[in-house]
Amino acid sequence: MILFNYVASFFLIVLGFYTIVTKYNLVKTVIGLSIADYGVNLLIISIGFNPGGTAPIFTPGEIDPSAFFVDPIPQALTLTSIVIGACVTAMSLALVMKIHEQYGTIDTREVRRLRG
Amino acid sequence: MSTALYQHFPILAVMVLFLGAFLIVIFGNVKTLRHLIALLSVTVSLGLLIALVKPVMLEGEIIAYWMGARATAGGYAIGIAMEVDALSLFFGLLVATAVFVSCVYSIQYMSHDDNVGQYYTLFLMLAGGVMGLVLSGDLFNMFIMVEILTFAAVALTAFRNTAKGALEAAFKYLVVGCIGSTCILTGTVMLYAQAHTLNFAQLSALLPGNMNTATVVAFALLYIGFSTKAFIVPFHPLAADAHGAAPASISVLISGVLTKSGLYAIIRLSYFLFQTMELGTMQFLLVFMGSMSMFICVTMALAQHDFKRLLAFHSISQIGYVLTAVGLCTAMGVSSGLYHAMNHTLFKGLLFLAAGAVLHQTGTTDLDKLGGLSKKMPWTTAFFLVGAFSISGIPPFNGFASKWMVYQSIYLKAVESGNIGFLFATIIALVTSVLTLASFVKVSQSVFFGRLPKEYENVTEVPWGMRLAMCLFAVLCVVTGLFPDLVTRYLTQPAADAVFNASGYINAMMGSGYAESVMSVPAMAPAVTYVEVGVWQPVSWLLILVITLLAITIVAIGGQYDRVSESVSAPMDSKYDLFFGGEESVYSQVGGEDLFWGFKHNWRGYFSFMHKLHSGIVNDYSLWAVVALALVTLYMLIVF
Repeated sequence: MILFNYVASFFLIVLGFYTIVTKYNLVKTVIGLSIADYGVNLLIISIGFNPGGTAPIFTPGEIDPSAFFVDPIPQALTLTSIVIGACVTAMSLALVMKIHEQYGTIDTREVRRLRG
Repeated sequence: MSTALYQHFPILAVMVLFLGAFLIVIFGNVKTLRHLIALLSVTVSLGLLIALVKPVMLEGEIIAYWMGARATAGGYAIGIAMEVDALSLFFGLLVATAVFVSCVYSIQYMSHDDNVGQYYTLFLMLAGGVMGLVLSGDLFNMFIMVEILTFAAVALTAFRNTAKGALEAAFKYLVVGCIGSTCILTGTVMLYAQAHTLNFAQLSALLPGNMNTATVVAFALLYIGFSTKAFIVPFHPLAADAHGAAPASISVLISGVLTKSGLYAIIRLSYFLFQTMELGTMQFLLVFMGSMSMFICVTMALAQHDFKRLLAFHSISQIGYVLTAVGLCTAMGVSSGLYHAMNHTLFKGLLFLAAGAVLHQTGTTDLDKLGGLSKKMPWTTAFFLVGAFSISGIPPFNGFASKWMVYQSIYLKAVESGNIGFLFATIIALVTSVLTLASFVKVSQSVFFGRLPKEYENVTEVPWGMRLAMCLFAVLCVVTGLFPDLVTRYLTQPAADAVFNASGYINAMMGSGYAESVMSVPAMAPAVTYVEVGVWQPVSWLLILVITLLAITIVAIGGQYDRVSESVSAPMDSKYDLFFGGEESVYSQVGGEDLFWGFKHNWRGYFSFMHKLHSGIVNDYSLWAVVALALVTLYMLIVF
């Protein structure tokens, strides 16, 4: 059911934002970023999905107007987005590690030397 | 389509920067080689864009470039495209200039850091990301470039990770930046689901007039996503944190280049993709957010104690001017907004470089500790003053010319539309300018004038390479201020014309006649007249300035000036110490903090409220982002 995918993807995005806003643990903030990212990935892949379509792999000459396959562009976009998501997680976790070294805490309420 | 050689220049200008980044990964251990590679790539990139000025700016050609020669099939754009019109080229030139000067500055500025090879890799990735964004013709490519530049900027913010707050600033920037990126990606795929294309030109033809709930939400998502990249209110705390922690050469890029990429994307979205700027409600949104940015950030800047943090708030305040002017949807408004965007890159870059020079020589940017550096660093002081005069809008420097045009265009808009709101915007713009001047009086008083603290008595002038970089920006500030008519005719007016030429943009990409066949052609804006702008003579103002400076110099050299101060300080001999009290300090320094205490005291409610609001907790800043997203989505759903 494709509608369920859309609902679930926006639920994941909102859940991710909710986690970022309400959780005071830096690692949980990173988890929130990832959840929002998974939501977007689910949205992209759902947009390209055609029920009953085949995989979009064809050799020249094989393709004809009767071919029915899923949209390949969103799949390419999803791959890119997954790679970027992995980079975000890696980089933010590295920053969290360094913050823990310097500040001795990963509570966002105490990591606030820059303010005002 | 002609296949002139310059058609390939845009992609080369982007590629050469990324190529330089990868080469530095390999050869970056050798000092001279990495400087050579970095300088070569930024110079080539700048040169390629300058070569495009003649066909694109002067002859009005729009370059559409398809990667791998895949173009359109069955009325759909299936390849990945770059499209360069005068607007893209205008922003591209700004990017290339700022990157070039910042690279020249970096060579000596970063000489005391380790891992400089990685610095240049990230530097060139950042430059390439922004360049790719402004020259791209594909919405998803824009997202990729946004991610590249966000990553590079975050990494560079944390580059000096032992500096105060660098890691914290980088983390906050990453979190809110990623919320923005998620918004951009969601908006992009929602548009793809509606229109089945990612090509900018084709989307611009298909979307206007066919708005439904999904595209409106996508617009709101994209708008907020790119706003986080431009750091307009409510995303300004990130800019302040990032600028304060990043090396000065990177602050130049964050303020001069990154914010411009966000602005560029907002212009593209609202004038091309959705073509909604003729609606009063949309103008209200941009002018409102611009005015808020102007006022909130300038008052925040007044309360700062850190040189670079103060400059960061001013940077966003000036971005507010640009957004307000662009939001007017008049040819003169857009033209003046772009003019101010250009000047902002120049004078803000200059000021950040001067702040970096102070940091490089003294090791601090704390306004309460510095003072009297004009005796030790005369060149830096002179360059700083050029930048301060420019940003405060003092004739004949460039800030005056563009700010004047901005006031004029907002006021004319108020008169034309009879809308009282634009009058308020004019007043806010004027008040902001006054407050800007006030806070730069404070900075120059507490950093460059006043008494020199004991520990800085051995401070010397910065090396020539850094002075050269500052000199380049200072010269550009003066030149663009002295010849506003030439700048408008050859740079901003073609770019402003391009903003109102959406159908030309679409046809250049999709084949002529496509725009007319798919959409109802948007009304062309009337040609703007610059008669009222040219009434003032910048050269005569320069003469007055020179004469005044000469007079002051003559008085100072003639000794009149010195004799007075001598007679005051003469009896300070140690043998009289006996007759005085225990206090050693006779001369009391007026700190930067005390200069406007009266004003700040009267407004203490507002200032303490704002201070509490900018709590430094990443959850709060994320909440602002989410609330802004919700409000803008709601607003757009109501008005469309």
